[in-house]
Amino acid sequence: MNYVEPSSITELMNYVTTVEDYRCLAGGATLVAMMNVGLVEPELLISLHKLDELKGMRIDQNVIRIGAMTTHTAITDEDRLTGNASLVRSAAGQIAHSAVRNMGTIGGAISHADPSADFPAALTAANATIEVLGPSGRRVIQIDDFFVNYLETSLTEKEIVMAIMVPLSPADAIGHHLKFSRVDGDYATVSVSLALAMEGRICSYARIAVGSVAAVPLRLKEADDILIGSNLEESEIARASELLLKSSDPIDDVRGSSSYRKFLIPRLIRQAVLQSKKELSYT
Amino acid sequence: MSNKTDISVNVNGREYTRHVSPRVSLADFIRHDLGLTGTHVGCEHGVCGACVVKLDGKIVRSCLTLAVQTDGHAIETIEGLSESGEISDMQEIFHKRNALQCGYCTPGILLTAAELLEKTATPDREEIREFLSGNLCRCTGYEAIIDAVEETARERQDGK
Repeated sequence: MNYVEPSSITELMNYVTTVEDYRCLAGGATLVAMMNVGLVEPELLISLHKLDELKGMRIDQNVIRIGAMTTHTAITDEDRLTGNASLVRSAAGQIAHSAVRNMGTIGGAISHADPSADFPAALTAANATIEVLGPSGRRVIQIDDFFVNYLETSLTEKEIVMAIMVPLSPADAIGHHLKFSRVDGDYATVSVSLALAMEGRICSYARIAVGSVAAVPLRLKEADDILIGSNLEESEIARASELLLKSSDPIDDVRGSSSYRKFLIPRLIRQAVLQSKKELSYT
Repeated sequence: MSNKTDISVNVNGREYTRHVSPRVSLADFIRHDLGLTGTHVGCEHGVCGACVVKLDGKIVRSCLTLAVQTDGHAIETIEGLSESGEISDMQEIFHKRNALQCGYCTPGILLTAAELLEKTATPDREEIREFLSGNLCRCTGYEAIIDAVEETARERQDGK
């Protein structure tokens, strides 16, 4: 295996277009683990850590642009992630453990596209867009179109994630990532990500995504629409949950059986919505 | 078949230049190339926490870090932290409270607990438990470990 550290995008594109069997190395928290157990062994490992364009966060027109190489710790500590974007901060702080959060990156996490991981669901609920770059240039992918299947994204061959754009608005929204896992720091058995805003007693904005219950984060516009305009009464939350539950298709694995995951879905949604509603009533 | 490269790293305040294969993990590099065996290797996929070291001041899993990635960076291992005396109070309390049995997990736990106390001066037991949840102790001595971290935090506050 060869290892390179391109320091410019041109140099990076040169490697990805000329080498067939390569992998891009972000934080390494997942890729190096996969290499250690022999699942992947690329001819060329391209480290992204010298590419300044992939680093840092900046706000432009009410949207925060998070560089792909931003670590989970940097996101957890970022106090500009407010309103709708606070959801992303909430999720980042719940990923694995400190030593992994110091290494792992948001770009790496979404490129891996594990539906049990925290960022796929959180970024779906946060209505993010993904900026990607390939040999034919840059494009932007809406988060609902980014995850395609288990460990599969809509990135075409040779494309890499450059940044994740998260709208700060609604500014009065609060975001929660509610995660149920058997062991602290593990992948979720089920997670519920939610951005919610209210005007008086009426829900003015809602976007829910459920993680770890299907091949991709589960989001239904119809479920959000039940909540928007409602008073977020128990019956309305139950109707929205029912729709999401019907569309779920969880697998059996060490973190829980399919039926157990289905048992959790409405309960966690209810808890997430009620918790957010309560918090909003105090602000 | 691998293309070895030269890397220069600062480990525990000393500069080292070594010729390494890109596939070598930081954990193996520290142990085999530098002979610093206080960093342990357990699961090799980032779950057990035995291999925790500090990279540029932050704890990381050295089994999930490649040595080549650390070229030009600063690493601190349990040996460095022990020699500097920075955590000698915590080491003393771990000893006193029997917070180690076989000792395999101890270096990783000390480094992790040290980061917790840097971030939070007086964590409660729940916070200690949560922060250390990525470090496995198969002797099952968790209660004593939490006691020891709690006492270290308390003594540091009292000593102020």
